[in-house]
Amino acid sequence: MSEPFEPKIVAFVCTYCTYAGADLAGTSRLKYAPNVRIVRLPCTGRISPMFILKALQKGADAVLVSGCHPGDCHFTAGNYHARRRWTVFRALLSFTGIPEERIRFSWISAAEGTKFAELINSITEDTRKLGPFAQYQELQKIIETQSSY
Amino acid sequence: MGIQEQYRSEAAAMLSSGEVKLVIGFGAGSTADRRRPVFARTAEETGKFVLDPACIANLTTYLVSGGLLSDGKKVAIFLKPDSIRSLNILISESQIRPEQVVIFGYAIENGEIMPLSGRSISDFTEIGGRIRSATPPPAVLQEAEQIEAMSPAERFEFWKAQFSKCIKCYACRQACPMCYCKRCIVDVNQPQWINTSSHTLGNFEWNIVRAFHLAGRCAACGACDRACPVNIPLRLINYRMGKEVKEAFNYYAGECSDQQPVLASFSQDDPETFIL
Repeated sequence: MSEPFEPKIVAFVCTYCTYAGADLAGTSRLKYAPNVRIVRLPCTGRISPMFILKALQKGADAVLVSGCHPGDCHFTAGNYHARRRWTVFRALLSFTGIPEERIRFSWISAAEGTKFAELINSITEDTRKLGPFAQYQELQKIIETQSSY
Repeated sequence: MGIQEQYRSEAAAMLSSGEVKLVIGFGAGSTADRRRPVFARTAEETGKFVLDPACIANLTTYLVSGGLLSDGKKVAIFLKPDSIRSLNILISESQIRPEQVVIFGYAIENGEIMPLSGRSISDFTEIGGRIRSATPPPAVLQEAEQIEAMSPAERFEFWKAQFSKCIKCYACRQACPMCYCKRCIVDVNQPQWINTSSHTLGNFEWNIVRAFHLAGRCAACGACDRACPVNIPLRLINYRMGKEVKEAFNYYAGECSDQQPVLASFSQDDPETFIL
């Protein structure tokens, strides 16, 4: 009997807002889906598109990228730069067939613990409906099973 | 006197007077319809220059290779409008000092070579208007629309089939004037972001990353597309990225030589409809 599908979600978050928001969700004893793996970074401007590709390469079913609301960046403008980058990267992923529902972006402040918990729950539910990102993970499996590589 | 002879004699004069150290142009290629780059360092060598509608390569690639311009001396080069656009981008990214480049401009119109007047990049400001009003080739537009009409899963299969052909020869990178990094991200191995083997996943990652690095920087010269030995339609991805920066940020790469690179700048009013 196969186990029910539990989505793996990787969240790249900035330390000043979303990580603090996630921390608040924890200290407020809010319950949210345990499917998320949080990676803390100094700023959304530090989140390279390579991270997203790496997460997919290593078997993530969905990726969340989250940082401070516009105007709230600890480094003044990191999230503005990140926003432009995501706009373009998202279009590229969509054009190459990586569904937009699997790569999500959000602004969550340090005070929005509830928003964080709710967002993780909704992404987990959405991804559960989508199922595993088999198309991408298949590519990785081919490498692992073919010794000629 | 035809434009080819005129440019030959001007190039010869510049080399013999020492105004430029090198002239980069086109010469006869391996077959009748191909041209290869010619690098003339003496006045005699300018006799090898050919200028005809087969001169379609983007020669700006050679300006950023091997520290060519690091001695501060001038180089003259044969450029058509999309190559001038590449030069604009390279100048705006501080890779080239505009005063070091002398331009022999030409355009190919209805199979005829037309001279472009001006020798310095500042003489080609009208190119911005041309870029803004230009429409992409109908074939590219049609192919891109076909892909966008597919479902994500179909699109994935389409690109998977395309990228599985890739042999990671990096000809696209080599031909591209914008790929001037001393160390390309694909060659970085600590950490290794991209699978370097030419299996489909590695190819997928490589092509996505290259397309992203060209977003808002591509002059649509088609060099990568022509260079690809397995005919991956790279023009489609580049077209899609150009469309994105145009629609989201009203940005046209290379319309002038003093623009801010689109991903190195921002506006507080940038669209963010997709952010939750």
